[in-house]
Amino acid sequence: MQLKKFASLGGALAAATCGLLGSQPSVASAAGEEAGWQSDTSLLYYGESDSRVTDVSLRTALRRAWDDGSKLSGSLTLDSLTGASPTGAVPTDSVQTFTRPSGKGQYTIGSNEQPLDDTFKDTRIALTANWDQPLGDAMRYGVGLTFSTEYDYRHMGANGRFEHDFNQRNTTLQVGMAYARDSIDPVGGAPIGLHPMKGQGDSSSKLGNDSKSVIDLLIGVTQVVSRRSLLDLSYTYSRAGGYLNDPYKLLTVVDNTGRPVGVDPYLYESRPDARAKHGLFSEWRYAFDEDSLALSYRYMFDDWGIKSHTLEGRYRWNFDERTYLEPHLRYYMQSAADFYRTYLESGATLPVNASSDYRLADLDAWTAGIKFAHKTSLGEFSARLEYYRQTANPQPGGVGLLNTYDLVPPLTAIIGQIGYRLNF
Amino acid sequence: MSKPELPSRELTLHRSARHWDGHFTAMANPCEVLCQCDDAATAREMTRRAAEEAWRIESKFSRYRPEGVVFAINNAGGRSTVLDEESARLIAYGDELWRLSEGRFDITSGVLRRAWRFEPGAIPPDPARVGELLQSIGWSKAHWHPPNLTLPAGMEIDLGGIGKEYAVDRAVEMLNAGWPQIPALVNFGGDLRVSGPVPREGAWNVGIESPVSAEQAARAVQLSAGALATSGDARRHIWANGRRYGHILDARTGWPTPGAPRSVTVAAATCSLAGTFSTLAMLLGTDAEAFLASQNVRYWCLR
Repeated sequence: MQLKKFASLGGALAAATCGLLGSQPSVASAAGEEAGWQSDTSLLYYGESDSRVTDVSLRTALRRAWDDGSKLSGSLTLDSLTGASPTGAVPTDSVQTFTRPSGKGQYTIGSNEQPLDDTFKDTRIALTANWDQPLGDAMRYGVGLTFSTEYDYRHMGANGRFEHDFNQRNTTLQVGMAYARDSIDPVGGAPIGLHPMKGQGDSSSKLGNDSKSVIDLLIGVTQVVSRRSLLDLSYTYSRAGGYLNDPYKLLTVVDNTGRPVGVDPYLYESRPDARAKHGLFSEWRYAFDEDSLALSYRYMFDDWGIKSHTLEGRYRWNFDERTYLEPHLRYYMQSAADFYRTYLESGATLPVNASSDYRLADLDAWTAGIKFAHKTSLGEFSARLEYYRQTANPQPGGVGLLNTYDLVPPLTAIIGQIGYRLNF
Repeated sequence: MSKPELPSRELTLHRSARHWDGHFTAMANPCEVLCQCDDAATAREMTRRAAEEAWRIESKFSRYRPEGVVFAINNAGGRSTVLDEESARLIAYGDELWRLSEGRFDITSGVLRRAWRFEPGAIPPDPARVGELLQSIGWSKAHWHPPNLTLPAGMEIDLGGIGKEYAVDRAVEMLNAGWPQIPALVNFGGDLRVSGPVPREGAWNVGIESPVSAEQAARAVQLSAGALATSGDARRHIWANGRRYGHILDARTGWPTPGAPRSVTVAAATCSLAGTFSTLAMLLGTDAEAFLASQNVRYWCLR
């Protein structure tokens, strides 16, 4: 049979089938499958208010799936970070002078202003690769590698996971682990904890580079609860060891009037060199006739004294088969780390560890956003817009002048993302 | 339509995570109807409607049922049989497939089962025996003047090649007519079709059995509309003299087409069309992919 005849043969067969069944249905077949290529590209903008940190992130991911269920995926992310970040020092009623982290240069902060380091500028490249493979009908495993590099930081990690379905696929058990080894090579060297920030050209408070390692373990279960709902429960344990400081964060030592004291009033922060974190996560997903809802709660605690609660909800409102709108709301609250200090007081015993990083403070944060997605024959387009607001409390009991400042001002940010997914 | 014993006409219903799962046996195949409705009574009624249609078609077109049309045609002893409208449509369809496949597909080729066995350990038939059977094969020897069909004595027709897919399409018509708002999937022995609207998950997740081995993971196909049919399968083949003999036989030679894939699955609007494409692809041997690629359908060809 000639190849060129095939096309007309198909038409004749379809016509014959039409004769058999009386009429042909209006819908053609719509069969898809996991197998094939998928690309996912997104551009994300994260901008903090008051020209603090801005991150523009471009991510592209490529996935190839095969008929047997195995999958190879990889992603590349480019981040460009710019802006100013709080140094951790407190404002005062005179001009303050700080040495740049490189030790080559200075910058000044006006009186009554929050000290921000405006040299914050970095480009980050991150790569991931994953392989997923079914083991028979009810089991799957996956392995992955992660790598990222930026000017002063390099991350290398490996991870593995295993899933097993039970109970006629109504229950899935997951276990996973990840190991990462990161090297830190801060501009001008890694500061020694609670040593003073020195003037230009004096590196006596700094050492060379340092490193940390992190092990993460996960055990989780997904249970089909009813025809419409699913429950996810998991426990995670994470243990980090090594250099866990933020090398660019300072604490101000103040006198009893609340003003910086002495020649070197700024000390580099110092955190413990180990952190063990436990997390409990639960998520409930419910399918309505058209729409779906996901609600989750996460509780985390660590041996730094931080306890946090996260409540999150998403409602997917399907307009039709191709279009949906998804409002998103998230609330986060945490208690301060045991060693969180907004500043240190002269004359008091120096603590073993101290950090004024607002991310370790007693804080609350809200995120509210909405996502819109539309599928076309050319792929799926999506757009997301979110608003983030965080408020934090300084350590209790202000000293003198410091009572007049908002030592940990609220932070707001806008997050915008556009994405495009294509199957081919 | 290939086993003489009467099938059990039991119907069972199970609840699974996202739908009701109705089961029964028809045409010697396990059949299921998945219904995405809330109550068991509706699901049972839908399964029953599909099962009754499958059993009706099985009785009417089985070679073994004396009350059926095919039995009457095959046992007419050279005399003419006047066919009812539905039987005439099926025969006309077989006639078209024979013409379009240039004789590769032939509803009179069922007698080849007397020579071929596909059980484990079976061996290919004696070529002389196949040659002998070819004498009683050939649609061109039948006299088809709709609605009258006359077969020369000793010849038989077998609608096994099209009956199961036809039954799936008929069952879906029943469900679409009775429960147009309920997403359902009708699956008769691996040939299947979607009924009603798109299910809540967006598509039915259909596993196609791997033809290589039963242990190997099934491939997952997401089907939101239309039908899937598969020709060729893991078990119905034999190995001999270092080559594989599949059970789809070319009616012109009595042997499997050289270079045929192990299995072909096609997605099309109806199960009958999908089954016709997949069977013809098998009969085209090495040209299977070229044929399917020119049809603008999704297909999965395994070699």
